[in-house]
Amino acid sequence: AGCPVRAFAWHPHTNKFAVALLDDSIRVYNSNSATVPSLKHRLQRNVASMAWKPLCASILAVACQSCVLVWHLDPTSLSTRPSSGCAQVLSYPGHSPVTSLAWAPSGERLLSASPVDTAMLVWDVSTENCVQLQWFGGGGVTYLAWSPDGSKVLAATPSAVFRVWEAQMWTCERWPTIRGRCQTGCWSPDGSRLLFTVLGESVIYSLSFSEYRGEMQGQVGGSKTASIVADLSETTFETLYGDERIGGEVHSMVWDPTGERLAVIIRGHPDSPGSQTAIAVFRTRNSPVFELLPCGFVRGERAAQPQIIAFHPCFPRGALLTVCWSSGKISHIPFFFVSAHVPLASPHRSPVPVVAS
Amino acid sequence: VLGWRVAAAVTWSLVLLPVCTAAFIVLSGLHLLHPVRWISNSFNDLYTSYVIFCILLMSVVLIVISIFNVEFYAVVPSIPCSRLALIGKIIHPQQVIHSFVHAVMGMLVAWCATVMTKGRFQFLAVSCTPSESLDDAVPQTCLNEYHLFFLLSGTFLGYSYSLFYLINNMNYLPFPIIQQYKYLRFRRSLPLLIKHSCVESVYFVRNFFVAYYFFGYIPKVWICTTMDLHIDSKLHPLDTLSGLLDLSLFYHTWLCGVFLLMTWYIAWLLFKIYATETHHFPVQPTFAEETDQCLPKILNSNPPLLIKFLALQDLMLLSQYSPVRRQEVFSLSQPGGHPHNWTAISRECLSLLSDLTQRLIAQQEAAAANGRAKQPVGELKVPPQTPGAVGTEDVSFQSQRSNVVLRATMSPLVKPSLMPLKTSPGSDIGSPFTSPALNCKKGVVDVNSSWHGPLQSPLVMRRGPKLWTSVSDHQMNGSHHESFPVLSAAKAGSEAVQPKFIYTWLQNKQEQIKNFLSRRALIMYFFSKHPEASIQAVFSDAQMHIWALEGLSHLVAASFTEDQFGVVQTTLPAILNTLLTLQEVVDRHFKLPHVSSKPSRVSGSLVDTSYKTLRFALRASLKTALYRITTVFGEHLNAVQVSTEHKKRLQQFLEYKE
Repeated sequence: AGCPVRAFAWHPHTNKFAVALLDDSIRVYNSNSATVPSLKHRLQRNVASMAWKPLCASILAVACQSCVLVWHLDPTSLSTRPSSGCAQVLSYPGHSPVTSLAWAPSGERLLSASPVDTAMLVWDVSTENCVQLQWFGGGGVTYLAWSPDGSKVLAATPSAVFRVWEAQMWTCERWPTIRGRCQTGCWSPDGSRLLFTVLGESVIYSLSFSEYRGEMQGQVGGSKTASIVADLSETTFETLYGDERIGGEVHSMVWDPTGERLAVIIRGHPDSPGSQTAIAVFRTRNSPVFELLPCGFVRGERAAQPQIIAFHPCFPRGALLTVCWSSGKISHIPFFFVSAHVPLASPHRSPVPVVAS
Repeated sequence: VLGWRVAAAVTWSLVLLPVCTAAFIVLSGLHLLHPVRWISNSFNDLYTSYVIFCILLMSVVLIVISIFNVEFYAVVPSIPCSRLALIGKIIHPQQVIHSFVHAVMGMLVAWCATVMTKGRFQFLAVSCTPSESLDDAVPQTCLNEYHLFFLLSGTFLGYSYSLFYLINNMNYLPFPIIQQYKYLRFRRSLPLLIKHSCVESVYFVRNFFVAYYFFGYIPKVWICTTMDLHIDSKLHPLDTLSGLLDLSLFYHTWLCGVFLLMTWYIAWLLFKIYATETHHFPVQPTFAEETDQCLPKILNSNPPLLIKFLALQDLMLLSQYSPVRRQEVFSLSQPGGHPHNWTAISRECLSLLSDLTQRLIAQQEAAAANGRAKQPVGELKVPPQTPGAVGTEDVSFQSQRSNVVLRATMSPLVKPSLMPLKTSPGSDIGSPFTSPALNCKKGVVDVNSSWHGPLQSPLVMRRGPKLWTSVSDHQMNGSHHESFPVLSAAKAGSEAVQPKFIYTWLQNKQEQIKNFLSRRALIMYFFSKHPEASIQAVFSDAQMHIWALEGLSHLVAASFTEDQFGVVQTTLPAILNTLLTLQEVVDRHFKLPHVSSKPSRVSGSLVDTSYKTLRFALRASLKTALYRITTVFGEHLNAVQVSTEHKKRLQQFLEYKE
């Protein structure tokens, strides 16, 4: 609340990102050009989420109050106000407000979901056809995440249930959580592991899925139970400046596309004094065994809370974490490391390990 | 393949029939004031013998309807381009049979409905109400007008269903955008189907009421005279306003309509769902007798269009989801080491795409030649898009027609657009799968250049395509468009050395007739081609190309890591050339008038209109396919041999500037 940045999205292949502001406009910043196109449309109100289309130069899907707007921008144009004729309106009766969007990593389908609609829509954007995926019970969808290999989709609902859909025959598995709703989740790059957190608990759960081989149609293949991999409850660190108390519930979590770094926004307990919101960074590895080791903390200026975090989808020298602070600043924090895997341009394919000689 | 599916679909629709019948009986005995008695009466009725008999009769009706569904389905919609074509479609004998049989079936269903409803509808002839006069002591049998009304309404409903079927292209089988289990698809469509049946029934019954008001006396009189019945003078005749404003009559007729429409729509929906389900084609045959069914063979031969569509859909799915089958595609044959599977698959996909490229180029040339007038784009060679005719198109991308096309369009006003067409055959020669078409094409070019000699007036050349369009307009849609251009090509070829004045005189006469007729607004009303419809007609089978694009690009992208023998690398230049050429042509095509405007979308209707926007899907999937290949290969693409123009475009794709 009070943060001027509403939503943030990196382009999956280039150094371009889009920022949605409180005044319902979207700015696209490109490292290669000085012009900053500003996108405005009369239907673009209460922007909740944005997503760039993969395998495309510049098509941006925006989740608005009453519809989904798909902007077809010209990547080489220098205009600062693209006309609203470039925007395609995808609307469906009863499907508003749209709060979550996810593109299929192969670039063909767009999923849109709303917390009041018990059906997710799978759009074929170019023909404007959609298919409704209905389920019963549990309310709408509060969080959508498509696994980078294109095989599974996480859909969290406002109730204590979340669903994992498999993207070939669109069947789903229901996962009841014990205490609260699934707050956030992220997938490993090969789609075999899902890390998620539950509202009201300060732990990170991990759910593993069997390797997608293509022969098992219609099965999600999740394991029976989720295991706890990290406990983020409040601890006190002794630093040079005194005692620091960090820990608490997880607000949001992102995993970098090489699967090496995990960033988590931890909200301290609002009642206890001195607790603050910080970003914890973990070093992770998914194969041969899953490993999660703490790496460090990121803190901004005094009184600036981190609101949105995102990793750059194709940073060649490690990982780049972008943080949108509540003061309106956006900072990029690089992590330079040599990845154990060959960096690939398309993040949705499983990485090939380099043979050491 | 189709046989089993049809049988399964028919079985399921028959299983659902008693459910619908039960619902109908319950609802027709509607008695709001005595609900308990109503429900108990209905349940008692369900077990009586005449209901069972009716169910059997309705099963027969459904089987007949399903047979018609199977006979008439098409995976490529036939889009009438002008109003005359639409009328022609309606008058076509096949359609007449379809309507007639549906009308008869409608009558049978209505008869069953009357039997089940009982009450005053039940019999055709009842004894008349006794009159007060003592003269007629003998009771006579009178016509029960309600029964007749019901039967006629059934006939009308059957005919309207058939007409709607035709106009909305319901014989078109749209393939779903995501794969789902059949039960889920059916369950998802069911509420929409029920709502649609109810609404449509209201419209049909209303139309029938109007028709009966005006024409109702004709069948009444006919039945009375043939069956020697009398018209009961005591009761109100139904073809008056007071007779028709009967709520119970309207309700029962409407209910009968809903019942009929629902059972028929369920049969149609089940057929659609079953027919468009994916079929698993083996890539590598394990047994000798399966060789005919394996994917490469099917793609290369000329199967019925539905099988080809299913094969392409399977290719698309295997390329995305199935590493095992991808390995089979990339494998080499034993012994010999030839990549037969990959060669066959890629050759078929590339020929499909080149065919589309040529078609679009031809249409653009025709548009340019027909010129500046605002009239809709005339088509030089639009074959009637019936399932039979499309088969001839797929024979090879080098057909007699394309000969003619190239000849007509190699006029001085040819843009450099044809240059890529010439270079792509050039690069194709090097590739392992040269098509025999190339030699013929070279021959065409030579003949054409020699033809330039004697008849050089560019006026004649310019008029050429236009006249062919108009003459083929005159011939309407019944005849093959192919025959005339071929004839004239042969004629022109042989006449190449004859004096040209006879030719020009003929052309002048035709031009005069055409001008005269075009001034008659009525004729232009019928002959003028609707631009949106003509554009849809060109792209009507684009679903095949979309799948070919997706399948090919996914396989190429996967081959970056999975191809152990390098079978894909040798064909990469050809693939890139074809894709880039097609992209140029499509981009240019979208600059033509009307092409980039989206038709209005009606959401939530049972009728599927996805064929209207296929061209947008084609453009998007073409771009995505190119990006997929460039994203995976990255800078390695610079090592691939492509022409410099294409290299520049590839660089644009690599930098995400397209």
